[in-house]
This record gives sequence, C-alpha cells and structure tokens, in this order.
Amino acid sequence: MIFKSNVSALLFVLFLVACSTKDRTLTGAGNLVAKTADQDPGLPSIKVNNYILHSEAYGPFGATMIVALHGGPGADYRYLLPCKDLAANGYRVVFYDQRGSGLSQRLPKKAYTELGEKAIDQMYEELKSVIEHYRTRPDQQVVLLGHSWGAMLASGFTGKYPGLVRGLILCEPGGLKWKDVTDYVKKSRSMKLWSEVLNDASYIDQFISGKEDQHEILDYKMSMLSSKNDITGEGSFDPAISWRDGAVIMDALFEVGEHNKSDFSAGLEQFKKPVLFFFSEKNKAYPESWAQKITAVYPSVNRVKVPGVGHDGIITNPEAWTKTTLPQILAYLNTLQ
Amino acid sequence: MKKYALLNIFIVTLLLTVTTLHAQTLNWSSLNKSKQLIHTFAGAEYGLVFGVGYSYKLPVNSFPLLVTAEYSFPSGGTLTDDFKTKIGGQIPLIKLDHFRFAVKAQGIFRRYENDLVRLANWGVDVSGTIGYYRPRWFAGAEAGLDKAIATHFKHSNQYKNEYRDVKDGWFEPATGGNFYYGLQTGISFQRYDLTLKGGNVLAQDFKSKPILPFFAQVGCNFRF
Repeated sequence: MIFKSNVSALLFVLFLVACSTKDRTLTGAGNLVAKTADQDPGLPSIKVNNYILHSEAYGPFGATMIVALHGGPGADYRYLLPCKDLAANGYRVVFYDQRGSGLSQRLPKKAYTELGEKAIDQMYEELKSVIEHYRTRPDQQVVLLGHSWGAMLASGFTGKYPGLVRGLILCEPGGLKWKDVTDYVKKSRSMKLWSEVLNDASYIDQFISGKEDQHEILDYKMSMLSSKNDITGEGSFDPAISWRDGAVIMDALFEVGEHNKSDFSAGLEQFKKPVLFFFSEKNKAYPESWAQKITAVYPSVNRVKVPGVGHDGIITNPEAWTKTTLPQILAYLNTLQ
Repeated sequence: MKKYALLNIFIVTLLLTVTTLHAQTLNWSSLNKSKQLIHTFAGAEYGLVFGVGYSYKLPVNSFPLLVTAEYSFPSGGTLTDDFKTKIGGQIPLIKLDHFRFAVKAQGIFRRYENDLVRLANWGVDVSGTIGYYRPRWFAGAEAGLDKAIATHFKHSNQYKNEYRDVKDGWFEPATGGNFYYGLQTGISFQRYDLTLKGGNVLAQDFKSKPILPFFAQVGCNFRF
C-alpha cells in the first residue's frame, strides 16, 4: 500500500514536472523564435540610423561591394548566404537583415504605417546607410543583388539614387508597380479552400493568437505559413531556410504599399547600365511573359531563366547556383569592370 | 503521431456507431420528446471542416440540459493530423413565449500538425444564443469565446534546423483566443433539422483577425 502510494506520488510529481511551464511563454525572447541582435549581443550587427541590424560582410574591404537584399518584406539573408562565393572571387559581399526582419531589431507597426510612403523611403535610406557603413573608399563601386522583395527594394533604390549603383542583379521581383505586386501576390498565394496548405495556414489561428506588436508570436505564426508554397516552388524543390520572419514589417509595408500604390520603378529610366535578371522555371506564378512585363522598365536587361528550381532555388539550390546563377553573375560583374 | 491517428479512428468509429449525435445549432422547440440527437455538419471554421456530434437530453427542473460531444476535422492532404473535440453542455436559461436564451460551455481538446510543429491544446468554448423558436423553424444570434488555455509544442527537426534552441513543452498563459458572433437559422421536419449559421471571428484583442475571419456552417440533425 505504501509502495503504491509512493509510486503514485512519484508519478504525480513527474506529471507536474512534465507539465511545468516555467519560462515557457509565447512572448519570451528566444522561446519560439530566435533572439534579435538587440536581444543577443553575440550576433554580428551594425547600428544604422539608430536601429541595430543583424549584418556581416565578407571579402576584401576595398573591392567592388555587392549588397545582398533579402525578400519578404520580413524574410532574412540566411538563404542568400551562397552569395558568399562572390567573396572568394574577390568581391566584398555585404549581408544585412532589414529593419524589423530576420534577426534585426523590431519596430512597432505604427513606426511604419504612420510614415505613409516615407516608410519605403526609410528602407532606401537604411540601404544607403548600410553601404556607407561598409564603404572604405569613396570610389568603391556598389552592385545590388536583390531577391524577390529585395529586388523591388534594389530597383526602387536605383531609381532614386542611380549614381550610387554600378550594377543591378535581380531575382524575381513580384512587381514594380503596385498593381503588378498585388497581381503577383494573388497568383502566388492562391490557395485552394480544401488544400493542406490553407489548412496549415488557417487552422493554427485557434491555437495561437497575437496582438499587433507581439513580434515573437506573430513572427512564429508567419514562419508556419511560409515554409512551403507549391505555386512558387518555395520549399518544394529545395528546403526553405531562414532565421526568423518579420511579420509586422511585412504587414505594415503591404499596408503602406496598398494605401499609397507604391511604385518601385520610379526613376529607373535614368539607370542606363545593364541589368542582370533571373527568373525560375518552376515558379508557376512567374512565366516568361511575366518576366518580360516586369523587365520592360529597365533600359537594358539580360533575362536568364534558371532551370529546375522555384523562387528561392535560383540562389538556394546548389546545382542551379554553381551551374547557372553564379557563373552568370561573375560574367556580368566582369562586364562592369 | 500514430497514437493521435488511432485516437482519431476511435472517436470517428464511436461517434458513427452510437445511435445519436448532436447539433450545436438546434431548434429547441422541435426537441420535445426526443432525448438524443445526431448532428453532422460541414463548413468554414479556421479551414474547411467536417464534423459529427452527439447530444443527450437530461431534464434539469423544467429546462433540458443537453450534454454534448463533438468531433471535427479540416480538409487537407493529411486528414488525421488536425482535429478538434468538444465535450460539454448547453441549456436554455430563459424562456419567454417562443424566445429563448441558451448558454453553452464546452471543454476542447484539439491538435494541429504541419512540417514544423505539432500542437496539442486544451481550451474552452463558451457562448450564448438568443433566438425565436417555433416547431417548424427557428432563427437566432450567437456570440461566444473560443479560448486556447494551454498548448503543448513539439517541434520537428526541420524547424530545429532553423532554430535549434526552440523550446518544446506546455506553454502558458493562454496562447490564444477568438471571439465569434453571428446568426443562425434552420427548418425542422419529421425527425430532422436543417441548419445554417455564419458570422465573424475576431481575435481577443478586438483588432486582429484570423486568416479566415468568418465561419459558416450547414448542418443536419437527426432527433429521436
């Protein structure tokens, strides 16, 4: 009897231990999503325009600078790290997570939405400041390499500061004019009502809900949505890889873009240098006709279709990167010398 | 995963083999001498869902208390990875001519799984319904709160490859909660009720909305 009681007591204690929720809250830093650079001083970071950005750079200091711009808005540069290969070829490669994205400092939603269209301008100013931070000589050339939203940001920046950009390498910007952006988002995110993808995205809403600026919760939920997309091929042909999503900036910049009908093609007619433009064979929302439409605004462009991969695979797929993307980029960079 | 699949099969088998199932949307006026209800439904509620339910009517003073059990699952490629079960009761507290005000309280156990995480949650669903009930038809309005109280997280290797320090286990305090409100109606004939309800879903902060910010459901009750 005593033995039974002891066993019961032991089991009860083990049950309580197993159910203990000490330090396990949704909003606790590092519980569900990685800490940001302002929360973890061990992360490589820079301070730009008063915000702490997760950032690092590789390659010779004074060489032509290639700034890698991640997608989203709200993604991070982890999936762009194959671009480090450019450092081995003599280029200075700069990575940074944009404000509110990846492992960079988070801002409240109103910090974007209250600015209106100036919220987009601040993204340009941030990029300009990152370039200035890493630039070691005044005549150091700068090439922008943008993927998805990063390609939109690179295009908008180039239209605004054409004299600062020596070359432009772009991978599948959804659109440059706002209507094209919304059309692309609709095409690329059109989930069937009965699909597992929609179910995975929506069913979780009854388990976890977050308030407007609860970044840990919102970023975690966003990571549940963005792991796979059968239309664009993200996660279908190559595993998607990231550090942490930025849900608030994504939501805020879409709101700003929708309200102001942002135009990322403004001023591009002043940029006469050739543009290298990649699009993927397996992204069903990005056929050749869409690539032609989007690239019509660049005065000089070389379109390259990357075979066998989807939206991210242009860079993340090792075979596509080594056989198609990297050789094309190196050949393009040689023409800029 | 296997144990949840077996649980799913057990619950479906149980609910399909017992003689009666329950309707969350029901016509109080058509209940009369019926003691049990079978209910099947389909609709949109955090996804495209299908469900079955069972109710047993217990006389409590002059009011019928309906003890209910319900099981639902969303559509998708893998049908056994997500589901929701509810057990509880509902009772009409106020009766004034053909008007009734009823309250419902249910305990919830639900499960969710994708490539990155498996969630198991204990929660509650409380709601109130006010309506006009005639033997052949009814119409009413419902408002309630679906609260996720404690949730267990078990992350996959895929997620741990992205963030190795993620914590598994039970998370508190309440991990979520959504208010819902809407209208319901239905017709009754012989032993059957055909029901329809729909409305909006709003997160507990009264600002944010879920991806599917509405619910809609068609149902069929069998009374006996």
